[in-house]
Amino acid sequence: MIERATIYQRRMVIGAVISAAAFALVGARLIDVTLFKPNAVGSDQIGRPAMARADMVDRNGELLARDLPVVDLYARPHTLDDKVQAARELAGATGAEYSRLLEGFNNTKHPYVLVARRLTPDAQDRVMHLGLPGLEFEPSAKRFYPNGRATAQLLGVTDPDGKGVSGLEQGLDARLRETATGAPVQLSIDMRVQYILASEAEASRQMFHAKKAGGIVMDVRTGEVLAMVSLPDFDPNFRQFRGDDSDHNIMAADRYELGSVFKVLSFALAMEDHTARPDEVFSIGNGYKIGKYTIHEAEHMPATLTARDVLAHSSNIGTAQIAMRSGPVRQAAFLASLGLLGSLRCELPEFARPLYPAHWGTIETATIGFGHGIAVEPLAYVSAAASVVNGGRRIIPTFLKTDADRRGAQVIKPETSAEMRELLRYVVTNGTGRKADIAGYDVGGKTGSAEKPGPHGGYQSHVLVTSFFAAFPIDAPRYIVFVLLDEPHGTRETGGLALAGLTTAPLAGRIISRIAPLLGVPQKPVTVARENT
Amino acid sequence: MVRILNTFCVALVGLSILALYHVSEQTRVARLELAGVNHQIIREHGTISVLETEWERVAGPARIQELAANRLGLSGTPAVQMSSFETLPRRGDDGQPLNNSPIAQANAQAPANPVPAARRGL
Repeated sequence: MIERATIYQRRMVIGAVISAAAFALVGARLIDVTLFKPNAVGSDQIGRPAMARADMVDRNGELLARDLPVVDLYARPHTLDDKVQAARELAGATGAEYSRLLEGFNNTKHPYVLVARRLTPDAQDRVMHLGLPGLEFEPSAKRFYPNGRATAQLLGVTDPDGKGVSGLEQGLDARLRETATGAPVQLSIDMRVQYILASEAEASRQMFHAKKAGGIVMDVRTGEVLAMVSLPDFDPNFRQFRGDDSDHNIMAADRYELGSVFKVLSFALAMEDHTARPDEVFSIGNGYKIGKYTIHEAEHMPATLTARDVLAHSSNIGTAQIAMRSGPVRQAAFLASLGLLGSLRCELPEFARPLYPAHWGTIETATIGFGHGIAVEPLAYVSAAASVVNGGRRIIPTFLKTDADRRGAQVIKPETSAEMRELLRYVVTNGTGRKADIAGYDVGGKTGSAEKPGPHGGYQSHVLVTSFFAAFPIDAPRYIVFVLLDEPHGTRETGGLALAGLTTAPLAGRIISRIAPLLGVPQKPVTVARENT
Repeated sequence: MVRILNTFCVALVGLSILALYHVSEQTRVARLELAGVNHQIIREHGTISVLETEWERVAGPARIQELAANRLGLSGTPAVQMSSFETLPRRGDDGQPLNNSPIAQANAQAPANPVPAARRGL
């Protein structure tokens, strides 16, 4: 007969089972952790220090902006033995204001005093060598722009708390914060093109003693802005402005009466509607009266010109006649379809609403035809002009890299666009844009010299805004270069004249000759004779 | 039998405690080392980040152009002097370029005296 287990024995068996189960559990967990999840424990994210904002890189991956690790320095005044000496030493080591530190150290209300923000590693070393007690270094980040002034207006800056306050830093703020620990934000900017545009624009600004200068290079198919420059600029790595430094981006935040570059749009409309033919002859004369107003030419013109030569020689009278054939309603609708009567919205936060007459009558149609009486931001004009040469489709600029063809609605027929490309080439070979004709590349373009409005109404003679719109290669345009000089002055070489054909046309030519090889634009064979002309 | 089992269980518990303590201690030390290494990696990444930024600054186009003009006497190369490997002629009798396209710039001539970038006030 089997003896029944005593209560003690049963308890021991139960205890043994529980113990065995516990050991099995621990063993299973050990096997799980060591064999199956070797990285589960302590797998902290290893990588770059966590930054507030992502890097910005150009289309080729070159760094444009990055948060660098720095520290903010705080002091606990109650731990300092000699507050006067500590304030003096910390001011010397960090550049902080001595009186502010001393006042903070003597103020017993606050347990902490901010000594300095964004200390560089060498400044941190100097502070460490002081051997002062009660100092605390708080990790922080400082936005640094390796290319300094060359990208200042475009990229903008952040405030001390790392929030974008201008330029693409503001326009892409949410995106830069979202991807702070991940991939950089890749812009459409090509740093090589940006530098060439900036350096050539600055050289021309100095040469012609212009108040301001600017330029844009854009891909007409994708709408990518490869470069945008506004001068004067500023050093984004230092918060202090020097001389005539400015953080105002004239290419996006200002509006200009651009003058004769608008004739491109008037001609595009005329060609689209067949209201004028390129070989049609127009009488020019000394002045063209519309009601009580008389339109004059900037330069002497022949008595008659073909429409082609009206554009090539930039005749106001001829263009006014052509624009008036379209009429105010059609002209306004056409400009609206190109986005020139509304605000241009893209990643750049700066924009300027266009100015145009509330009453759009006959005289307004005539003057807007040659670029007076309507003021637009240069970036909006570039967008509209791109539509004229890219096959006639609307394009919105973007500052983010994309490979997609972003051309949108058809605003003019492809045949009209082709006809306009021929006319623009004619302007450069036979008209006011001759100085933009460069060896190896067929450039088409249009000059613009507009008198600036005076502070008390009317226009100031000899106070000009000169610009040049160029597309290349003109038989199948891929890029637009638009440059602008605000109040240039003539030089001895230009005979004292400051017209666009002498100031911005050669500037555009130089820029294209430098950037076209970099952008892989195929060259055309050049003859010795042509090169030497 | 029960006594042996008890003794065995107690010994097992003791050994387990020692083993677990050993593993726990090793884990603690490893975790400290890991934290130190991670900290070091972050510091190194910070340093690399600074160096990359510094490199971008010193190797930027503005500085390269300035150095090339001042130290090497180089000036801007005319666009017509530039070409690509695809347009180079083949070695041989046919003289055809690599992609069988016409030789570009065969008769191009650079400006006789290109203006150095430095003299243009760049």
